Amino acid sequence: MHAGLLESYQPRRSPVHRLATQTKLVAALALIFCVVSIPKGWDRMGWTVFDGTALLLVMTAARSRLSAAFLLRRLLLLEPFVLGVAALSFWQPHGWTVFWHAVARSTLCLATLVLLAATTPFSEIVRVLRTWRVPALLLTTLTLMDRYLFVLIEETGRMQRARASRTFVVRSRWAVWRTLAETLGELFVRSTERAGRIYAAMCARGWETSEPPVG
Amino acid sequence: MPAALEVRDLSFRYDGGRATLSGVSFTVQPGECVGLLGPNGAGKSTLLLHLNGILPERLPARSEPAVLVDGLPLAPANLPAVRQRVGLMFQQSDDQLFCPTVWEDVAFGPRQLGLRGDALGQRVRACLERVNLDGFEHRRPHQLSQGEKRRVCLAGVLACEPGVLVLDEPTSDLDPRGRREFKLLLRGIPATRIIATHDLELVVELCPRSLLLDGGELVADGPTVELLSDEALMLAHGLEKPHILQHRHPHAA
Repeated sequence: MHAGLLESYQPRRSPVHRLATQTKLVAALALIFCVVSIPKGWDRMGWTVFDGTALLLVMTAARSRLSAAFLLRRLLLLEPFVLGVAALSFWQPHGWTVFWHAVARSTLCLATLVLLAATTPFSEIVRVLRTWRVPALLLTTLTLMDRYLFVLIEETGRMQRARASRTFVVRSRWAVWRTLAETLGELFVRSTERAGRIYAAMCARGWETSEPPVG
Repeated sequence: MPAALEVRDLSFRYDGGRATLSGVSFTVQPGECVGLLGPNGAGKSTLLLHLNGILPERLPARSEPAVLVDGLPLAPANLPAVRQRVGLMFQQSDDQLFCPTVWEDVAFGPRQLGLRGDALGQRVRACLERVNLDGFEHRRPHQLSQGEKRRVCLAGVLACEPGVLVLDEPTSDLDPRGRREFKLLLRGIPATRIIATHDLELVVELCPRSLLLDGGELVADGPTVELLSDEALMLAHGLEKPHILQHRHPHAA
């Protein structure tokens, strides 16, 4: 995976970017709330709301001067998770109807978040959440996740390259899966060790309260 | 005037492991710049983590403190004061830069010390200027080069205005230019400095005195040039006489 695709914020000069973070966050949450609270039985009405939300998102995206390809790529990246969750609905009665409802719902929520993240710096979102008195521990976790995601991806890339450089024969699918599992395990161990070192670095500069490392 | 740093008979072992430090004692006077040498696994990083109380995780309830900073014993009640006085710069920059932007990372320490508003902004600006990174405030750590990351780490530590600066392998991942620039920065800092490194030329240039650690024991403590010129001692402890000293008399200044 390319780290560039994970850089969610895309600076542009657009009315959507200029909007106050607080306004954008409230609007996004309201939209998500509206989409997820449509009852399953509202068939025609439900789809009208979904269509309306989709139209609103497309219009906002158009005004934000972001490339449609970028937004679609990010959405597609997340879509496997949506489909995975939605596939569970086949075990219910009226499987297909429930499936399409779940896909539409989740995709609209994700699209809202993709748009919010692309037009608002993450640190700004955390700053606003802090003024809303979201628990400090949660904000610290979010901030550290945002910071170390890139480090983890780079580390995964280095590990994969190192393995590839010493892989000389075409291997069975089983061996490839085993290697992947080993890499993930190793990554987990390294991340745990890194977490210990980061905590030490935070303590070394006086961190002892539950204050998040952002202002 | 109390010693900037005093270590008395310090011993430590990681849970279930063999002794990492045994009976280490030394004193560092204010303003001194001391090199900490030793092969891999000698216990250098472990020793440095003791200097501002990251290790041991639980301070033992013993009457004799093992580490004193400015005469202040390292005890749970003194921990915040000791951590402000001893600035620790870690081996890996990515571990130390945990905030989303450069500005926030440099502001992290002073904010813990209660600085807010203009005073905080001024402190951050001054520290970034000091490491020649003015204008980098809004950059994200993963967009920086190794050399820039190192300098942000240094700014973050300097922002707490420590009296003792402890650096773990500060030049290990820098190119020659980055090393030269970092060396110049270190030279200009008036604080007491302890530098653990394999970069022997850096030690020769910056540290008049060096400590040699091997197998958790302090095997030598003396003038850097004398220590590093002793080829038998160097080879016995996994080091070698640096090229810069090959043609230099051990007593030359």
